[in-house]
Amino acid sequence: MLTILGGLLLLSVGAGFVGSISGLGGGVFIVPALVVVSHLPIQVAIAASLISVVATSAGASVAFVRDGWTNLRVAIVLECATVTGAISGAYCAGIVPARVLELLFAAIMLQSAYFSLHKPGDDIVPNSDPLAERLRLAGDLPGDGVQPVIPYGVVNVPGGAALMVVAGLMSGLLGIGSGALKVMAMDYIMHLPLKVSSATSNFMIGVTAGAGALVFLFRGDVSTVIAGPVALGVTAGALMGSRVLPYANVQALRIVFVIIMVLIAAEMSWRALAGL
Amino acid sequence: MATGPELQSIQDEETRLLRVWTPMILRTILIAAVTVLIIGLVQSTFGSPGHYVRRFHELQRGIDLRRPRDFGPLVGDALGGDGHSIMTIGLMLLTMVPIARVTFTLLVFLREKDYPYVAMTGYVLVALILGAALGRIG
Repeated sequence: MLTILGGLLLLSVGAGFVGSISGLGGGVFIVPALVVVSHLPIQVAIAASLISVVATSAGASVAFVRDGWTNLRVAIVLECATVTGAISGAYCAGIVPARVLELLFAAIMLQSAYFSLHKPGDDIVPNSDPLAERLRLAGDLPGDGVQPVIPYGVVNVPGGAALMVVAGLMSGLLGIGSGALKVMAMDYIMHLPLKVSSATSNFMIGVTAGAGALVFLFRGDVSTVIAGPVALGVTAGALMGSRVLPYANVQALRIVFVIIMVLIAAEMSWRALAGL
Repeated sequence: MATGPELQSIQDEETRLLRVWTPMILRTILIAAVTVLIIGLVQSTFGSPGHYVRRFHELQRGIDLRRPRDFGPLVGDALGGDGHSIMTIGLMLLTMVPIARVTFTLLVFLREKDYPYVAMTGYVLVALILGAALGRIG
């Protein structure tokens, strides 16, 4: 038993660590690790991953909320879209064939790899559009004593919300946080500053993954023997990653992560097409 | 509906409450869930290692998963020291994190009579509960 448990914990700590350093979250790494290395069905991996994503989001968002990086109003507005997608996705995950899930996962890995290479820059708008103004979504980038507080506006809420439904759907279907999609929606479409987008995405991931996890848990599709160690391992790994991150050469590591993601996408596609 | 300076004051109070209390709620439930999970894992390791290994291999072979258990017997087994039941309660606690956070946010908006946001957080909370109900009925 100790060999199985040790292996699961090791995989989970590794996935949480890499997920934290790469900024993509542990979900995109633990699902393929459980499928390819531990030879578990993808639905079992998805259920375990969703629960671990809830844990890492809760842990990671504490400091961002406290320090004022998270735009709580934007999060609440967009959560309406992500939970709708996540519940639909988690419900469908029980009936969608494993091959389709594996192919979708490969596509999401490629999107995440592309996102890692082409991280968007800040394109801050000074004023919100009328809908965002009405919802009071504008915020301030916190100052640090040296840098002054910088106000920012928010635009195109419906466009951002539409992409959030897709992000939620992918989260529920594939057991991931869909952080890359969420940040893209907020940064490219709604023009939020990148750090605010990342912090707000992290905060929302907990509710998105939680919505999916509740469907799996109450359907009886969460296997305790897998989900327990995975939740503990990924959380511990993410915590270690956040400690190491300030000292890591993220630029150099990004290339390594992209290669890993492309290899995972190839492996998942091969499994799906070859019917392994 | 409030306007001008009154609206700004409501918004500032909401933000203050959310920024102070949300991290505390997240951290408290997370620590409680992780503690319960560790206790369950240790108990499983030493209490029923054979069951753990058998279940792992069943999953690898794609043997159908267990159906959800009723809460009463689950708590009873956990109190009796069953490691797997303790871990299941730990996992349930983890999924309570978003529900607790959204419920708290809803209460803050209700207190400040910020009705558009009451409606939105209310929708998210209902959706979370509906998700659990959908899972239960399969």
